[in-house]
Amino acid sequence: MAKAELDLLQGTFDVLVLRALSWGPMHGYAVARFIRQGSDGTFRVLDGALYTALHRMEDRGWVESEWGTSEKGKRAKFYRLTAAGQRAQREETRSWNDYVAAVARVMKATPELA
Amino acid sequence: MKFPSGTPSWRRYLQFWRRDVRGEVDEELRFHLETRIDDLVSAGQDRATARRTALEEFGDVTKVSEQLYAIDRRLAQRGDRAERLRSAVSDFRYAARALRRSPMVAVTIVLTLALGLGVNAAMFSLLDVLYLRPPAGVVAPGGVHRIWIQRRFESGRQFWPGFDYPSYRAIQQALGSQAATAIYSYPQHSSPLPAAAASGPVVSHVSASFFGTLGVHPARGRPFTLDEDRFGAPAHVAVISDEYWHRVLDGDPAALGKSLVVGNGRYTIVGIMPPEFTGVDLDATDVWLPFAAFGRVSERPWWENRNVNGFQILIRPRAGVSTTGVDAMITRAMHRPELMFNPRDTLQVAQIGSIIRARGPGESQQELRIAARLGGVAAVVLLIAIANVVNLLLSRAVRRRQEIAIRLALGIPHRRLIRLLVSESVLLSLVAAGAALLAAWWGGALLRSVLLPDVNWGSTPLHWHVLLFSTGIALLAGVVAGLVPALQAANPELTDALKAGSREGFGRPSRLRGSLVVTQVALSMVLLIGAALFLESLSNVRDLDIGFDARRLVFAEVFFADRDSARDAQLGPRLDALAQRLRRAPGVQQTALTSIRPMYGFSTMTYFPDADTTRHKISLATFAAVSPEYFRAAGLRFVRGAEFATSSRAVVVNRAMADGLWPAENPVGRCIHFEKPDAPCFIVAGVVETARRDNVFEAPKPQYWVPLGVGPFDGFRPHTLVIRADPAAHALVMSEVRRELQRAIPGAQPRITRMSDDLEPQYRPWEVGATLFTLFGVLALVVAAVGIYSTISYGVSQRMHEFGVRVALGARMVDIEKQVIATGLRTVAVGVVTGAALAVAGGRLVASLLYGIEPGDVRVLLAVSMTIVAIAIAAALIPAWRAARVDPLTALRAE
Repeated sequence: MAKAELDLLQGTFDVLVLRALSWGPMHGYAVARFIRQGSDGTFRVLDGALYTALHRMEDRGWVESEWGTSEKGKRAKFYRLTAAGQRAQREETRSWNDYVAAVARVMKATPELA
Repeated sequence: MKFPSGTPSWRRYLQFWRRDVRGEVDEELRFHLETRIDDLVSAGQDRATARRTALEEFGDVTKVSEQLYAIDRRLAQRGDRAERLRSAVSDFRYAARALRRSPMVAVTIVLTLALGLGVNAAMFSLLDVLYLRPPAGVVAPGGVHRIWIQRRFESGRQFWPGFDYPSYRAIQQALGSQAATAIYSYPQHSSPLPAAAASGPVVSHVSASFFGTLGVHPARGRPFTLDEDRFGAPAHVAVISDEYWHRVLDGDPAALGKSLVVGNGRYTIVGIMPPEFTGVDLDATDVWLPFAAFGRVSERPWWENRNVNGFQILIRPRAGVSTTGVDAMITRAMHRPELMFNPRDTLQVAQIGSIIRARGPGESQQELRIAARLGGVAAVVLLIAIANVVNLLLSRAVRRRQEIAIRLALGIPHRRLIRLLVSESVLLSLVAAGAALLAAWWGGALLRSVLLPDVNWGSTPLHWHVLLFSTGIALLAGVVAGLVPALQAANPELTDALKAGSREGFGRPSRLRGSLVVTQVALSMVLLIGAALFLESLSNVRDLDIGFDARRLVFAEVFFADRDSARDAQLGPRLDALAQRLRRAPGVQQTALTSIRPMYGFSTMTYFPDADTTRHKISLATFAAVSPEYFRAAGLRFVRGAEFATSSRAVVVNRAMADGLWPAENPVGRCIHFEKPDAPCFIVAGVVETARRDNVFEAPKPQYWVPLGVGPFDGFRPHTLVIRADPAAHALVMSEVRRELQRAIPGAQPRITRMSDDLEPQYRPWEVGATLFTLFGVLALVVAAVGIYSTISYGVSQRMHEFGVRVALGARMVDIEKQVIATGLRTVAVGVVTGAALAVAGGRLVASLLYGIEPGDVRVLLAVSMTIVAIAIAAALIPAWRAARVDPLTALRAE
């Protein structure tokens, strides 16, 4: 039975894309696949949004693109983190971890007795 | 939802020019969708379902595509701009590196171009001031006009810009409220103070409406009021220029209210003009005084006297008034009966023109014509400079041909290579422009004092007009100079250079170089011939017999600031006594008196000669009233008779008048009646050689001289003392005269000048032409010589191999030298002949400026040709020497 797919929360998309690219240059489809597989199908990935995110990141200078050949021999556009992108990736990851830790703390906390 | 279509092949082709944003986005998305579909199919779905799933997963393809297009287009534009800037910067960095490796060439090119550019900047600056720049500080100068009166004479049309006050009044009344009007006297040095050595400030008398018409206001204080500009009782107030305030009064903040001595009068300073305003003429004004204070000695009030003229009128028509309408109104006003000299006066059509005097009708002053032609000369110098630079760059390109061939082999696009090479010359050119402007700044003062010393050049020596012009032609010169060698260098045939080595010379570059040398030599010929022609003209002009011994003459003119009839009556006897005293002064050979000094102006009187005037006509004869010693003092030579006695009823005529009225007769003893046909007779006492009346150049004009104080001429009082003295003693004589004048005639404003100084401006055009043509010609020749040297040198280095063989086979050094020189001379000869032909053909343009020599003068052509050939031989000597002494072994072994 397929689990219900969750929509990615606003702002977490970029972290995942950056994480994907931190493994090395990938074309857009590979990034989508990485996120889909990595989340075990939990997330519903709107591919269109992914490409918009990738192009926006290129505009911001976090990634640079280059046309190359895919594994199957077809022409594909590869993305790669720039130095700024790597810095952004570390930043975003740390922010995300802080965020997650804070949420976890609140979840574990018990209300204080008045 | 639309599936993005495949990229058609023509789209891919576009990518050679610029990124195809749409195509790329489409291709990217298509790849994604196709891959997804393939994966889903591999996972077991059928194609149709897989397609649907993929599209669903994607979202709105069209919307996303549009978003991606927008982002990518923005990205691409930014990238392109950055790329262009990067490539331009890298081009210039490459150019700078390349130039640093060969500094000598770079410096030579910069100097050569700086020369050409500097000359052009200087010429343009001159023309700018004369023609383009309206007087500084004037509000809306396009709306202010001067008036010219066109008079038709037998010799042609003439335009006169000077007026008397009654005419101005008539014009003012005719124009009414349609225009604001003002009248002023042309700025002139005021008479020097008794004790001062330097001349006084430059003074202009202006009407109260002057400042208002121009829209200028004093920065401090106030202008004159209408009340202060009243005839007969002018207020003694003055407005000074900012420059005068700083120069003479040291910028004293309490200057307003201080008094200023100008000539013989005391004036209170009431206003100081803002820094940029110095009047509306090329000569800068220091002090403005009320028009009514102009004052000259005369019987009638000078402002009613039509003979007191030469004033300048400015008008500013109200908005909407047409210029033809204004012309018509002024013409009508000038045709009023009281303003016409006689009923048959062939006056006068008024024409208003620009406030820039040079743009007025008929303003064909010699200086302006020369300035315009010099612009052409400057352009020629720049062409020569560019030709030399092209030559130098060609040499460089040849030396770098291996480097260039490698780049071409590695696939640099031709356009890029050409851009690279041209950026070198543009960089050099811009550096040269900077150098040129610096030189123009420093040397500008020198140049200006040579060309037009009295002109007001404005506060900034480098106006932005000049900067803009210089930068513009520097860029143009850089591109032009660099383009030809670059096009040559980018020629793919050069890849053969890698293989062939330097054994063979190139046919095409040699032809190009040859034609460059021909161009340089031809242009140098033209300039040097011009120089020779002007020098000859100048010499002829200076030697011209104007009829006087101008070098010996000193004039002392006496003016008074106010009117005193008792004193004026005494003037004659007092000056006479003074003249007698001065005759005994050391260095003085003769003194005399005259009513008006020679070559300054003239007077007229109706006359009725005892001659057959129906058959023998002359143009209007003019006169001066003089003392009998005048002729000996001035150096006028008698051909018949002798001078008259003092106060006798006699007249001396000049040859032009004698030959005109009494041809082939002796006119001595004949009779002339003045004012009325039956008036008492004046006997002709003598005939003198015709001397000049106004200019160094003119057709002979009839003139006569009458004694002072006789008959109808007694109103023409002696104002000028003529002193004939040894030129070496002039300084002493002038100060002596001044002292004596102050003593003998207190209250006089003496103006003491030498005739040669008066005449100097008339020679200036030829001086200017000769100086500049010579300067440019010599510079051009130097540049051409360098060009010849480098071309022959290059040719020799190309044929070292051949020379080596010949020397090894036993050729004599002399023969090789002769051959090298002969080859070089062949090109030079072509240039000389071309240059001579150009000079003769273009001679028509300057023929009107020359004097006493034709543009095609054979002596000049020969002399200049031989000079150039001699210099060419000298330039060829060094390479020839090298060629003859080549070591055959080295030459044969070398590449």
